[in-house]
Formats: sequence, C-alpha cells, structure tokens
Amino acid sequence: MNITLTVNGDDYPLDVEPRRVLADALREDCGLTGTHLGCEHGVCGACTVLVDGEAVRACLMLAVQCDGAAVRTVEGLAGPDGEPHPLQRAFSAEHALQCGFCTPGFLMIAAGALESIGDDPELVDRLVESNICRCTGYEPIRRAIMRAATDCPPASDRSPTSEGS
Amino acid sequence: MKLWTRREDARLLTGHGRYVADLVVPGCLDAAFVRSRVAHGLIREVDCSAAREVPGVVGAWSAADLSELPVCANEAAHLQDLPPVPRTMLAKLSTEDAVNGREWPSLAKDRVRYAGEAVAVVLGEDRYRAEDGAAEVTYRIDPLPAVVTPAAGAADSVSLFDGLSNVAFRGTAGEPIEEVVWRRAAAVVEARYRQQLLLPTPMECRTILAVPEDGRLTVWSGHQMPHRLRLELAKSLGWPAERVRVVVPDTGGAFGSKSATFPEYVAVVFLAVKLGRPVRWIEDRMESMSVATRGRGQDQRVRLAADEDGRLLAYELEIDADVGAYPHLGVGLPMQTAWMATGPYMTPRVHATVRSVLTNTMVTYPYRGAGRPEATAALERSMDVLARRLGLDPAELRRRNLIPPESFPYQTPTGRRYDSGNYAAALELALETIGYDAWRAEQARRRARPDALPLGIGLACYVERSGGEPGGLHDFAGVEADEDGAIIAHCGAASSGQSHETTFPALVARTLGVDEYRVRLVEGDTDAQPEGLGSFASRSAQVDGAALQNAALLFAERARERAAELWGVPVEEVEWSGGTLYPVRDGSAGMDLTELVKATGPLRVHERFESGMGFPFGAHAAVAEIDTELGVVRVLRLVAVDDSGVVLDPAVVRGQAFGSAVQGIGQALYEGIPYGEDGVPLMANGLLDYLVPTASEIPPIEIKDTCTPSPSTPLGAKGAGESGCIGSPAAIVNAVADALQIADPDLLQMPLTPDVVWRAARAPKYEEA
Ligand code: FES
Ligand code: FES
Repeated sequence: MNITLTVNGDDYPLDVEPRRVLADALREDCGLTGTHLGCEHGVCGACTVLVDGEAVRACLMLAVQCDGAAVRTVEGLAGPDGEPHPLQRAFSAEHALQCGFCTPGFLMIAAGALESIGDDPELVDRLVESNICRCTGYEPIRRAIMRAATDCPPASDRSPTSEGS
Repeated sequence: MKLWTRREDARLLTGHGRYVADLVVPGCLDAAFVRSRVAHGLIREVDCSAAREVPGVVGAWSAADLSELPVCANEAAHLQDLPPVPRTMLAKLSTEDAVNGREWPSLAKDRVRYAGEAVAVVLGEDRYRAEDGAAEVTYRIDPLPAVVTPAAGAADSVSLFDGLSNVAFRGTAGEPIEEVVWRRAAAVVEARYRQQLLLPTPMECRTILAVPEDGRLTVWSGHQMPHRLRLELAKSLGWPAERVRVVVPDTGGAFGSKSATFPEYVAVVFLAVKLGRPVRWIEDRMESMSVATRGRGQDQRVRLAADEDGRLLAYELEIDADVGAYPHLGVGLPMQTAWMATGPYMTPRVHATVRSVLTNTMVTYPYRGAGRPEATAALERSMDVLARRLGLDPAELRRRNLIPPESFPYQTPTGRRYDSGNYAAALELALETIGYDAWRAEQARRRARPDALPLGIGLACYVERSGGEPGGLHDFAGVEADEDGAIIAHCGAASSGQSHETTFPALVARTLGVDEYRVRLVEGDTDAQPEGLGSFASRSAQVDGAALQNAALLFAERARERAAELWGVPVEEVEWSGGTLYPVRDGSAGMDLTELVKATGPLRVHERFESGMGFPFGAHAAVAEIDTELGVVRVLRLVAVDDSGVVLDPAVVRGQAFGSAVQGIGQALYEGIPYGEDGVPLMANGLLDYLVPTASEIPPIEIKDTCTPSPSTPLGAKGAGESGCIGSPAAIVNAVADALQIADPDLLQMPLTPDVVWRAARAPKYEEA
C-alpha cells in the first residue's frame, strides 16, 4: 500500500505491506532508528512515539493506520536549530538514562504530556509507570520529567542555561 | 559550558545511538529460529521444504540440512558441520569434566532438552520474510518426561544425556563440620530456601550481526566481552583470532547476560561465512523470555549454630543448583555462592557443598550478583531466625559477629581472602539512615493494636567479590597521543550502560592533569584494542580503571623520558604538569605534549594490568507493612549502604546502586519463571507474566556509601553496581518475616507474591510455635 508518513515534519512516501508495524516503518523504511523495540507486545513502551500529538506504542500500530498522520519521534524532539528539548537536558542532568535503550520511549511519552503536567507530581508518576526501564530504577526519570515540567516549560523557547551541566 | 552530563547522552538522548539493530548493512539477511515447543523430546523429523518456497526466504535449514549446505565462500571450505556451542572457560564457570560427553549443538540434532531450543533456522530478506518462512517449517518431536526441578534431576530417573547422571558438577568450600558442634550449640537454625530462576531482562535483547568481507569476518554484538566472543567464534570457525573482528556498539543493558557465545550466535556466524553474506539475528522479547539465559536457580538447605551469647559457631550450606539443560555456560557458577558462604561474619567453621543438576530448562548463567545474592539471602535470612531464637535484636546479633576492621586481610573458612572492610560502620549507617529504633517503636505500637497492619524491619549485611577469579583478574589498557595532541585511552572493557565513555576519560585526564575533553575513550573494538577481558564481575572500575590509571602514569613517564632525550638532560630534570613538560632547572617555558609528539612521533603506552580480588560490602535495611487480607507487601523504605572502595564517579555509581536495588525488589516480590510440569515456561503473555518492577512498585529508596579503599590496586576501587541485587532481596524478605512473625522460615520463598504472603500470614507465629 502506498502511504505517506509525515515524521518530524518531513514527508516519507512509502510502499508498505498492510501488516507492517509503525515502528518497523520508522526504523527500517524512514531510517529513524531512535525508536526502539524492547518487547514488541505493547508492554515496555520503548517504542513510544507521538501520532498527531498522542503517545502510542509504535509496535502495536500499523504503518498504514498513520497514513497522512503527523508522527513525532525522538529525532524530532530537539529544536530546529538543534537546541536540545528541555526533557533531553533534564534527562541528562538527572542521570535518567544509563544504557539509553528505554530512553526514547520515556522522552516521547513525557513530551506528549509535558504541557499538561504543570507541577503535578501525580501525573508524572502515572507517565513514568507506563514504561519499563531496567537500568535506572525510575526515580531519576521521574525527577527529570518534573524538572523539565517545572523549570523549562516547553512553550517558552529558552536559550541554553547552565542547568544540567 | 557542558551541555550533557555524560558524553553518551548527546547521542542516546537524540535518537542517534547505534545499537546493533540500528546498523544498516546492504544485503543483510535476517535470521529467525524455529523453536521446540516441548522441553524434552526426541527429534524425529524437521522439514524445511515449505519454508524455502516462501517469497523472500533465502534459505531454511535443520541441523541435518546444514551439513549438506554447499560452500560458497572459499575460506569456509573446511567448515563442514555447524560447530557446537563453546563452553565458558572463565572463572571455572564450566569444566571439561562437566561438558565431556554432553555436546550442546547450535541447532538441536537428535534431541531437544529445553523448551525453545532451536531445531531450524530460516534466513529471509528481512525479519518479516524470515518469520514467514519459520512458520512453514514443520517438525515432529516425540516427547520425553521433563525434569523441571533440581531434586527431580538429581533423582536421575530421567536422564538428559543417556548413560550420564544429571548431576554434572560437585564442589565444596570449607571443611565438613563435626556433629558435636551442632549438638553443643545453644541454638541451631535449620531452613530451606529457594532462590528462584530469574530473567535478567535487559531492555535490548541479544543481538548479533556478522559481516564477511575480504576473508575476514566483522561481528557486531551488544556484548560484555568482545575479545572472548572473537576468540570463541574464531575457534568455532577454525580461524586465527585476527580474522575475526568484534565490535560492540551501544548496548541496551546486559546485567551479566550478554557475555557468552550463544547457540544462535554460532549459527548466524556459520551461515554468514558459508553463504558469504551479512546475516543478523535480533532476538525479540518473547524469544528472549524462553531462551535467554536465566539467573539464580538454587535450592538451599542451611544450618546455622551459635552459642548462648549469639557468637556464631558454624554454618553449613548445601546447594542443589538448577543449571539448566547444558553445563557449558554456568555449571560451576554456584561455587560463587559456596566461596562466599562465610559472608561478613567471623564464623569459625563454614562448609558449603554444591551439586549442579541438569534440568530441562534454559541454561543458568551469571545475572547481576551471580552467586552472591544466593549466598547473602541464605545467610541473612538465617541470621534473623537465629536472632529470634536467641531473643536478640537482629542488629545486635550481627554486631557481635561482623569481622572487625583490624582483621583484614581476612582469610575465610571458605577460601576467600577479604581485602578490606569496615562492616560495622556500614551497618550502623544503615540503621541510622532508616531510623531503626523509631521503626522498632512503631512496630511495638502496632503489635499492641490488633487492627494495625503488621510491620517488619529487615536487615541484610553482605560482602561480595568483584574483579573476577584468579587467571581473570587482569585487563589491558593503553594511553596514546597522536600528532594533534589528542589523548586516546584504550581498554578491554565494554559498556552496556555504565558510562565508560565519560568516567574513564575523566580518570585519565585527572591522572595526567589535563582537561577532561582532551581525552577520548576507545573500547569495544577488537581491532582497535587487540587484547582485553571485558566488563563482568563488577570489574570495569576496579580492574580497567586501575589499568588506565597505571597506563596514564606510565604515559607521563615516557613523555618525560622523551623530553629529557630531546633536551639532553637527565629525566629527573623534566617535570610533567598539566600536559606540559618543563625543564626543572632553567625555568624556561615548557613544551606541550602536542609539540613533543610533533617533534618525536606518536607516543603510545599499552600495558597489561593485574588486579587482586575486591570485596565490596554493605548493609541494606527495609521496612515493610503487610496487608494480610490481600497478601500485599508494601515496602515503606529501603536503605542501601554500599562500600565500593574508591568511587570514580559518585553519581554514576549511585545510579547503578539504585537500579540494582530495584532489581533486588523484583527478585524479592515479583519476578519468577513459573514452569509447567512439562518444562514449558508459563509466560505466554510476555512481560505481563514476568513482572519486572515498574515505577509504581518503587518505595522510597535511600542510597548511602562508606569508603574503604581496596589495597588490591593503587586506585583502590572495588566493584559497584550489583549491590542492590545482593543485599536488598534478603532485607525485604526479612522485613516480611519480621512483620508476620512466622515460625517456619521455609514458608516465605521468593518471589513473595500475594498468594505466598497471604498463606504465610495465616501460618503459626513463632511465639505460638
Ligand atoms: S516495544 Fe512497543 S511496547 Fe515494548
Ligand atoms: S536506561 Fe537502560 S533500560 Fe532504561
């Protein structure tokens, strides 16, 4: 089937089998390997991307379902000038990653909800509970999302600061 | 201004990390394995013909088909049959005796011995085609009775290998204890514990990509020991090691489970060489859950004796270890438990015996902690029972028996020589941090009120071993400067998430007195670093760190010698400071390393470095309350005090300690592999059946440390990162036992699921016993 995925603002016209999952289309057909597969059965959340702004498990969604949709992956998180997203800064500052395999999923699930978090720690807890990380024990991830949500609201396009160094 | 805390972060946070599955090699084929649905049986037929007709399938083979595979690549001319799985030579994890007569074929030929064992392999143009093909392979296996527990295996009523016992290895540590010692003791505790089988579960499953090119083979793998993999693969192919290059790109966690040469790796490499085409295998989670190596797996029987003052007299530990279907990777692993059976106490007599039993389950292999969690859990649970028996506070019983700081080095009855320690200091810090006395008061208050949820406090003191075993306590490291003045550090380690790229250059830079960003690390590539051991046994900081420090010091020394020669002065008159060489006498301006290298050529120092064993230690404490109606354990607090000697990067070590504690919680409360009587794991729903902790299961955890440098290296670092798996499970189970006051410790076996806890809550309590 011929479809077009719009990923991080770029159009990718693709010819895919109906059964092809979104994660494989992103990784193999678009060459965007930042989206990881940790379980391929919808539990771990490593494959989380945003489809029309909603966080989805890219291993449970077919590429054809996203024809014409706007997909955002970890590669599209930084600003156009390459300025890291507040979540990326905060994850680094809080040691919220070790091996980094689960990280794109946590970043994207947080990116999809960041503006609605405000400073509600309960909401952050719910987000972090959605995905699996085997390295960090989650607490640093929780702290990082809190930090990004409270310190660096994404709406305000802030210039680099020394936080996180 | 530094943008990222760790150098790794720049790519890992932006989607630019490169894990094996991310590498693009044109024409690469994907491998899919056809796996046995029965755990034990005789293979009657494997038919791949239908698979070969599937569009996009390049080939499909059973073990028998493979020997008829025509040779396409010249260099494989002598390679007839698929080589078997090599055995682990390191750290006595396997032995010649155990594997003799017990071949582990890379594809099962006549018999399958664990559920999921591969009976055929299919190569497709991509993973979809390969799996389409695999679905068309048919096989007939006549089932045999399956052996699922060590006890059943040891009975030998069903043999995994005809004519051979299922007991594949026996070992002891310490001397047998005479009966009179037990008879005369004031108190003797007897108990049985089960250390359940666990899945290490790194978020990236196993990966291998084999690319044949110009008579050589490049293998990319998420791996902890690239040099071992190179050697074992080369041997399997009958090649000199130099013809194989192993590269470890980003690796998504390992926890001990990615350090061997697995059957699938042998098959992939064999096919790549035979066909002369790149082949990769990217394991998926369901596959990993059935056929990746397991951790733990011990049935233990203990006796612990003390006099009326609570001084330990004797400790006996009998281990029946479930080592899975083949003895190749971990048959000797339970000796790590036996050698560490003494724990942190001055017990004069300790005797540990090991029986490693083959069962129809996937093979047991090191998983974070690797033998030390099992030792700690058995001893620390028994200490709590003993304290109760003697009417002593569990903290006090431990205080009376911990090896005092002045006794190091301490020779244990089980053959270890502990390097250094202040065990009591760690315990006191743990008690203080958790607020031990206040919790005891709270417990008393609740015990007086029948409607209050029971609350318990659990302690676990531990000592573990890091660095490796004799013969494997070294590694190779180098420091180089090229003409542009950049400094490159090399070592034999391989990171799977431990921040080597950040911490090792920082260490070298500190040692040389230069800016951190002038130093860059190269590791995980056997062409760039020809010799190395790898990252296992918590050794990277202890061994490779010390090796890098040593190489850096030698490097500065060599630089001084060169400058001395250049200036025609004695070497004592040249000073190295901050990357610049100064003539001591004439006070003239110094010469930067860059200029020196320009004038005299690249400077390279490569050294083999030998470490001693390190013995990290600590004390963990947990507070838990129990909902006895639901059988739910609520951990209210967990404190981990660890001593890893000199720490290279406190934030990195704390991060690992935290993550490790969460894995310890997993073992204590959630994780386990249920097997059916037919030996098939009951995990059809994947990670919904095997419960790794999520964020909702994490109690408040506090990580603290003490610092007792190791005398085993000038750097003084001991291993870090495994402590949580070692200390936390025992502390948590002790807290639950303390809350429920159960008389029979055997009733609480991990994982403490609601069912286990609900039943234990209704069992006789110790006052009533
Ligand atoms: S890979 Fe999609 S949820 Fe795990
Ligand atoms: S950082 Fe390794 S799994 Fe999360």
